[in-house]
Amino acid sequence: MVESYFISSGLMKSYKALNLGKLRYLAIVVGSEEAYQTSKVIELLQWLEAIGVKHVCLYDMEGVLKRSKEAILEKMSNTTVFQEADENDKLLDQKHMMLEFVSFSDGKEAVAKAANLLFAKYLTSNNSSEDQEGEIFTEPHMTEALRAVGSGGPEPDLLLVYGPARCHQGFPAWRIRYTEIVHMGSLKSMRYGSLIKAIYKFTMVRQNYGK
Amino acid sequence: MLFSLSLSLSLSLSPTTLTSSPRFKFHSCPHVLPPNRLRASSQAHHVILEDHGSFAGAGAAVEENILPAGLRTESMPRHVALVMDGNRRWARIRGLPVGSGYEAGVRTLRAIVELCCKLGIRVLSVFAFSSENWFRPQVEVDFLMELFERGMRDEMGSLLRENIRISVIGDSSKLSRSLQELITRTEEATKTNCRLQLIVAVSYSGQYDIVQACKKIAVKVKDGLIEPNDINESLIEQELETNCTKFPYPDLLIRTSGELRISNFLLWQLAYTELFFAQSLWPDFGEVEFLEALKAFQQRQRRYGGRDF
Repeated sequence: MVESYFISSGLMKSYKALNLGKLRYLAIVVGSEEAYQTSKVIELLQWLEAIGVKHVCLYDMEGVLKRSKEAILEKMSNTTVFQEADENDKLLDQKHMMLEFVSFSDGKEAVAKAANLLFAKYLTSNNSSEDQEGEIFTEPHMTEALRAVGSGGPEPDLLLVYGPARCHQGFPAWRIRYTEIVHMGSLKSMRYGSLIKAIYKFTMVRQNYGK
Repeated sequence: MLFSLSLSLSLSLSPTTLTSSPRFKFHSCPHVLPPNRLRASSQAHHVILEDHGSFAGAGAAVEENILPAGLRTESMPRHVALVMDGNRRWARIRGLPVGSGYEAGVRTLRAIVELCCKLGIRVLSVFAFSSENWFRPQVEVDFLMELFERGMRDEMGSLLRENIRISVIGDSSKLSRSLQELITRTEEATKTNCRLQLIVAVSYSGQYDIVQACKKIAVKVKDGLIEPNDINESLIEQELETNCTKFPYPDLLIRTSGELRISNFLLWQLAYTELFFAQSLWPDFGEVEFLEALKAFQQRQRRYGGRDF
């Protein structure tokens, strides 16, 4: 807590210059009970905007944040909503902060819907090769199918969990293979200094991706 | 504190003694009893687990089970998952070849398996080799494959004596024929063991698991066994490779070496899993940190009022 205060007040020099190059996509998981605290969510987003984070995915299991979308966007100037159609262009857009709203239905349910697209392709395929399943059911095909059903957002580099439990509560599993996951404690006691520290530590991490 | 004193003592010993250090006094109960019938005292400050060697013999005396202070038997996680990270770094720090790191890691795994047996944990899943690990230098991959094969062959006796069931998940088509056959034999030989189920993920990834589940469903649809309208996330869950156990969803995931990622392990299965990221490199991971992770899990259970996800 003390360190968080020092970070917030700019007294710790190492946290002053954050290199956000590695942080292309940030996800925030909020416990669904805490997600009703729209003002705290907005405050968090304003902090992220001040820090310079451009792309944020907001998740809560029950879709409370989805339902609060209008109220959140109203308070955030210069913010757009993530549209998958122009995903690549938007990720390069440095002027606006881009928000994505996600809930449990974008996780396992979406995988089932995406799988159904692949099943349809498989059943109607005239391909009589032995490994027909192997040609249609692949990881890249699943990624594409998830995009087709509207649940194919980018893989977050960092996921911050605000809530009592240190778990991601069903955030779309397909997207978090290599995501750094940090538990931040409850939303109501969030601190700017803790946020800066989590982002800073992430920028210092080096991943091998298993290789 | 007793635990940390004992741990620092053990660290000064050679790695081969780690699995047999007489740190704790353990009096085991038969693990066929449901957890709430085991005696546990949250007031106990003494303990704990007596080590009879790398695996306790089948004839070990069965006495009351005393848990470390603050841990409750009734809230023990049923399924713990492990990402055993840090073997290579451990070796590098000591100026040893990478293989020494992996071998030290195997010794740590043995100790943790033993601990899980004693604590009444029912399932332990370990991420031994990921799909992405195939891209490591061939020498390293060959060494790891040989280590699996040797380990599995050498431990068969212990597994049978300790009533441990082995299940292997992952894309076995990439493994050598001899390893595939050994896995089949070991799974078959241990399939009725019920004290602890050790799930070893080899050539596995979370995305691979989801896709192979969809593939299996597709074949069943084509064969007329499933109607296309019946396909939902519940059906996918049933076809994931973790369907080899009654408890496919880990209650607790521990990743060592300070990294804060799942790294394509059990993606689908981890939605409500308590994530515990331990600082030690895997070969150094011991009882103290394991018990810390269990305590963190149990504290979370208290916050949720024992809610079952």
